[in-house]
Amino acid sequence: MAILLDKNTKVVIQGITGSTGVMAVELMLDYDTEVPAGVTPGKGGQEVHGVPVYNSVKEAKDKHDINASFIVVPPLFAKSAVFEALDNNIKFVLVFTENVPLHDAAAMIAKAREKKAVLVGPASVGMISPTLGRIGPIGGLPDMVDKIYKKGNIGIISKSGGMTNETAWVIRQAGLGQSTVIGMGGEILVGSVYADLLRLFEKDKDTKAVVIFGELGGTYEDQIAEVLKNKEFTKPLAVFIGGMFAEKLPSGVQFGHAGAIIERGKGKPSEKIDKLRKAGALIAAQHHELGEIIKEAL
Amino acid sequence: MLQKHGVSVPKSVLLTSKSAVSAPCVIKAQLLFGKRADFGGIKICKDKKQADDAVSKILGATFKGEQVKSVLVEDLVEMQNQYYASFLFDTDSRSPILLFSAEGGTGIEQQTNVQKLVINELAGLSEEQASTFLKSNKALAPLLVQLWTVFVKEDCKLLEINPIAQTSSGFVCLDAHVELDEFALGRHKDRVYAERPANIGRAMTEREKAVKAANDLDYHGTVKYIELDGDIAFLAAGGGGSITCMDALISAGGKPANYTEFSGDPSDEKMYILTKQAITKPGIKGCWIVGAIANFSRIDTMMSGIVRAFEEVKPKFPIVVRRSGPYEKEGFKILKDAAKKHGWNVEVFGAETPLTATAEIIVRKVHGNSA
Repeated sequence: MAILLDKNTKVVIQGITGSTGVMAVELMLDYDTEVPAGVTPGKGGQEVHGVPVYNSVKEAKDKHDINASFIVVPPLFAKSAVFEALDNNIKFVLVFTENVPLHDAAAMIAKAREKKAVLVGPASVGMISPTLGRIGPIGGLPDMVDKIYKKGNIGIISKSGGMTNETAWVIRQAGLGQSTVIGMGGEILVGSVYADLLRLFEKDKDTKAVVIFGELGGTYEDQIAEVLKNKEFTKPLAVFIGGMFAEKLPSGVQFGHAGAIIERGKGKPSEKIDKLRKAGALIAAQHHELGEIIKEAL
Repeated sequence: MLQKHGVSVPKSVLLTSKSAVSAPCVIKAQLLFGKRADFGGIKICKDKKQADDAVSKILGATFKGEQVKSVLVEDLVEMQNQYYASFLFDTDSRSPILLFSAEGGTGIEQQTNVQKLVINELAGLSEEQASTFLKSNKALAPLLVQLWTVFVKEDCKLLEINPIAQTSSGFVCLDAHVELDEFALGRHKDRVYAERPANIGRAMTEREKAVKAANDLDYHGTVKYIELDGDIAFLAAGGGGSITCMDALISAGGKPANYTEFSGDPSDEKMYILTKQAITKPGIKGCWIVGAIANFSRIDTMMSGIVRAFEEVKPKFPIVVRRSGPYEKEGFKILKDAAKKHGWNVEVFGAETPLTATAEIIVRKVHGNSA
């Protein structure tokens, strides 16, 4: 039945009148995702691709059945947008906005915990459950999304937006399809990490295995090893971790995403790979090997 | 910054040229890295002669490739004890944390008795919570609450005070390592800090500065560039894609001339400047343009910028391209037409060829050429 996003998901887009909002709503509607309303303060009464715009989440919720929010507001407004969604009792919020200040990200995460809600992002490219719906511009234009994404049994979690497509694509090239594919965001702090999402995939009957795109820096990849050791995830798991080259360069340089930094000797890909292999994960030395590795494990 | 929030720091003067100083004092080289004492960048001076000597020795000297343009002359603080405290973000608890040690000063990295307190960003750090955490060092609680306020109000990613000195007149923060959140600059428009060099253990090169300037042209899309020692100009899309492809290139036996990354649908002007800087670096023997299947970055925009740079530079070296995404047909046509017209050695791959598999192709071409 996929995770987080299925046929019953009804998404309000906060920031719908911005350029990314306009692009995303078109792609989401085209993929038959239910978008009953959008919100932009001061733009109530307008329409974007036929979707009515309201001044607040409360107004939108009063008029429509809504159970998820997609947030595409500018970085300094993301925190208050997330708070507004959570305060209006929306239990699933995905934040596309990049470059969110760290203190704001920490506040969003704390608030989502308090409200027992699921927060994905910030800096998530979105998520897709093939044939059921997509949130965000993930997969791009209609011909592309149908080429890359096909309903199947592989769950995918990626820190990187572009590599989300690419990882889904190597799965397709191996002749497999996907259950749910999530861009979790590559920032230092994000609302849902590999460990959280693996626990959800464990419970999902449609998911037979999971493939992960990981990066240098932080401890989110390391936490996967704990989830495996604790038997909280028992299906086959294949992982690729990028950023080996950074180990040979000075520590403290940020490559790629904000979270992709080796600091004070911590966050090295080689150590992450070591821990994961010991915990039973399958490791791809090259990204394009992920498809064949998981196919063999099934 | 600390003083603004009422935190006690030693009296000091900043010198950019040699002038009279009073002793006893501490002379500190103003550099953007730690462990300065180990390199002779910090001197404790008991009298005026020592102080004058230290100023002339340190000012203008070069430590780890960075020239000392100013020194801070601080009053020497007599202390009974020194403590360590830092506020930062922790990816395990996904919260801010406080690290504290009753044994501050140099060598904190090797310390094992550092205590950790997870703080709720919404609730903040209360004096009561700080007191419970500090146990026998309760007296520090009000200062730690003040420092928490600085950490939040100033949008710090890291606020490290080492040491906090216990003096006869109270606690004084003797040295701080602060990392400000660049994503929060929009709410600190009053700040007038000098440009920080990239954190790569050396000053920025002219090429790096040119790409940084291009990146700052507008807020649409990002281009990044770091020079390395190799001979293959590396133009990669996306944060995740670029690190994946760097690994692939190195494991295929290639030597990248640079790290780079472009993302978020950058303008063709940004792509033009990035490409030009990357391919005009002396000694380039090949160029690998590579990216995952883009979600919303337009391939035609990207190719227009790249082609413009190629038209100016007239590359003789082999070029391998692997990319896919919106408007890829149009993008590939722009590149292929220009390549045909000018006789460039370009090979183009789409999604059918795995991203990382094209690393071997560029390496083979470059090695074939140089043999």
